[in-house]
Amino acid sequence: MFGSGIKLDKALLARVKRYADLAGYSSVDEFVTHIIEKELGQLEGSDSEDDIKKKLKGLGYIS
Amino acid sequence: MLRLVSNFSAQAVRLGQQVPHRLPGPVSRLTLTLAAWLLLAPAAPALAYIGPGAGFALMTSAFVLVTTLFVVLATILAWPFRAVWRLATLPHRPKASIKRLIVVGLDGQDPTLTDQFMQQGLLPNFSALAAEGSYRRLTTTYPSLSPVAWSSFSTGTNPARHNIFDFLNRDRRTYLPLLSSTYIGKVDRFLRLGKYRIPLRKPELRLLRRSKPFWTILGEHRIWSTVLRVPITFPPDRFYGAELSAMCVPDLLGTQGTFLLFTTRPENAAFQEGGVRVGVTAQDDRIVTTLQGPENTLLDGNPPLTLPVRIHLDRAAGRARAELGDTTLTLTPGELSGWVTLGFAAMPGVRVKGLTRLLVTEMGEHFSLYVAPINLDPESPAMPISHPSYYASYLAKKVGPYATLGLAEDTWALNEGVTDDATFLQQTYDIDREREAMFFAALERLDSGSLVCVFDGTDRIQHMFWRDIEAGHPAGRGRDAAPQRHAIRELYAHNDALVGRVRAQLRDGDVLMVISDHGFTSFRRGVNLNQWLLREGYLTLKPGADGRGEWLRDVDWSRTKAYVLGLTGLFLNLRGREAQGIVAPGADAAAVKAELVDKLRRLCDEEKQATGINEAFDTAVIYAGPYMENAPDLVIGYNAGYRVSWDCAKGIVAGPVFEDNTKAWSGDHCVDPRLVPGVFFCNRSVEPQEPALIDIAPTALRLFGIDPPPHMDGKPIAGLA
Repeated sequence: MFGSGIKLDKALLARVKRYADLAGYSSVDEFVTHIIEKELGQLEGSDSEDDIKKKLKGLGYIS
Repeated sequence: MLRLVSNFSAQAVRLGQQVPHRLPGPVSRLTLTLAAWLLLAPAAPALAYIGPGAGFALMTSAFVLVTTLFVVLATILAWPFRAVWRLATLPHRPKASIKRLIVVGLDGQDPTLTDQFMQQGLLPNFSALAAEGSYRRLTTTYPSLSPVAWSSFSTGTNPARHNIFDFLNRDRRTYLPLLSSTYIGKVDRFLRLGKYRIPLRKPELRLLRRSKPFWTILGEHRIWSTVLRVPITFPPDRFYGAELSAMCVPDLLGTQGTFLLFTTRPENAAFQEGGVRVGVTAQDDRIVTTLQGPENTLLDGNPPLTLPVRIHLDRAAGRARAELGDTTLTLTPGELSGWVTLGFAAMPGVRVKGLTRLLVTEMGEHFSLYVAPINLDPESPAMPISHPSYYASYLAKKVGPYATLGLAEDTWALNEGVTDDATFLQQTYDIDREREAMFFAALERLDSGSLVCVFDGTDRIQHMFWRDIEAGHPAGRGRDAAPQRHAIRELYAHNDALVGRVRAQLRDGDVLMVISDHGFTSFRRGVNLNQWLLREGYLTLKPGADGRGEWLRDVDWSRTKAYVLGLTGLFLNLRGREAQGIVAPGADAAAVKAELVDKLRRLCDEEKQATGINEAFDTAVIYAGPYMENAPDLVIGYNAGYRVSWDCAKGIVAGPVFEDNTKAWSGDHCVDPRLVPGVFFCNRSVEPQEPALIDIAPTALRLFGIDPPPHMDGKPIAGLA
């Protein structure tokens, strides 16, 4: 009912659609999301070591 | 145009009138007050956030209230327009060859043991299913780990297309491990209210598994699916159906499962992992202490929420009376309690709720009380664990309280000797029974569509009791008379009975698959490949470091070419990919990789005169897809009996390359995937070829008349679809 939309140039969208399939994405949305997240990943910080240790604590396979 | 559309109303109708919509009363009142405050106060600076806590609970409650009111109003007003629109745009409903697809997942059921027990006549229902339809080995994924395997099961893709390569991935900037399946973000804006700071939004919670599960594609064709506890579904998928999340749902502390032990024993030693020892003293047989819960993210510094604990030891009656906050119960030593609700007050009107189980493990000279990991309360979960959001609560109303933690069976308490075999088995089978109640409730309601449910007990029990079925296992010493030494045999008989009950519910037009994601084998010897890389000159320690630091803290990255992180992955320290990479991409990287593949092939455990590693698989050969950059460069194919050592899995470099595994966790499947295929039973016959786990998703689509999309790697199983 409530969505979020991003407008892409028609020609760009056509290219995205073509290469999404070729690259093995399940959808155009997934392709665009991946590209954006990759770029954001360059800009965002990492969790601290304490945060990470806490999140993994108790995972049977590793501890 | 990219669009994300949700539709709650159809799902509500489908789930029936029992769907609860109520919110905790105090939270609702508080939320209205806060809504006014939100408009008046300035935002506070960003602070880190871990796991579920008061902030998440508060924002979840507020969000649900406001959204629900808005959705109800909008739904009523928009209904006529939406009905017309839906009729006009309704996708062509494919011509299905079946009415219902029922997939029962028995995580880790091993074909060799299955064959053995079938031949002994212990599994009449499995045998009948095989005779009626088919039984094959099911090729698993590389690596043969549940998060990877179930992701390939659901999406029909190889790991480079669904992005799950292990339990762990690495942060390429810091070389620290990350949970591979879920990202829990941080709250960056708060509203200051006296001593409290109210988050202005929920922390970002993101499923890192990519591609599209087959139930989402079925939903796009208006075919309903119910998905119960399939690993790597947290946070839940949004689709035309209902889903309860599984593996990697945290406990209330934000960990993957932390038990507590209140004890009067004077030992100071901390548990190695997975538990917290709380020293207490008994005065006149009364113990007063506190139980530390989740962080209170509504206060500066995130102090832990606490519950007052009072215990009165009634030695004459042989019981203990425990008060935990406003919950009081009587405990008999050696008897595991039922689920106990704990409510932590975060601020006036806001409580974070969890479920735990208690066990007095001793009440003689010393007193010890085990508190199981505190699960999110499914009645009012502090994090989204189902789709639709009320489905978790609906199930709790339907079947009673249940475990929500991803890996809910407390393997660490048994590893540490805090609980015993019987307690672990009781926990595991109780969880199995909860799951079964959900499954049969969903099966009864399903007229058409798919139902997928994964039972985890098979995996956990084999991990912990393999030492009893293998002579000479280092962890099996002195267990010849252990009462639970037949636990694995009994487990398979238990699964067989489940299959019998499912078969009894089948109707015409149903397809039943009983599958496992991988098999099982022994874990006798641990391999510290980082130590091996150090000895071979591929990994270098910082000057003065001894390699005992966890999470590769002691590694000198400026002089390291390769490292191991996670359970089966070996990574090159690649320039341009890793933050401090030194191996040049292209020819240099290919040469290092080829060298490692060659040296690791049939790597010998000299002490045992046995092969520790069969082969290292080049992921450039076995994977293809857009997430290759997150893949390890090699997947290690350990021989049966071998696995990454406990130290290596935690990023400790020091120690021997090969060592005995003496923990109760004595069986595993993190080995050469060719050694541990899963099982595939079906009530219909299939062609003789061995199917693969990755084939189930396209098969499911084809059974419902849908052509598998081109991104799927799997193929419909010949003869079935």
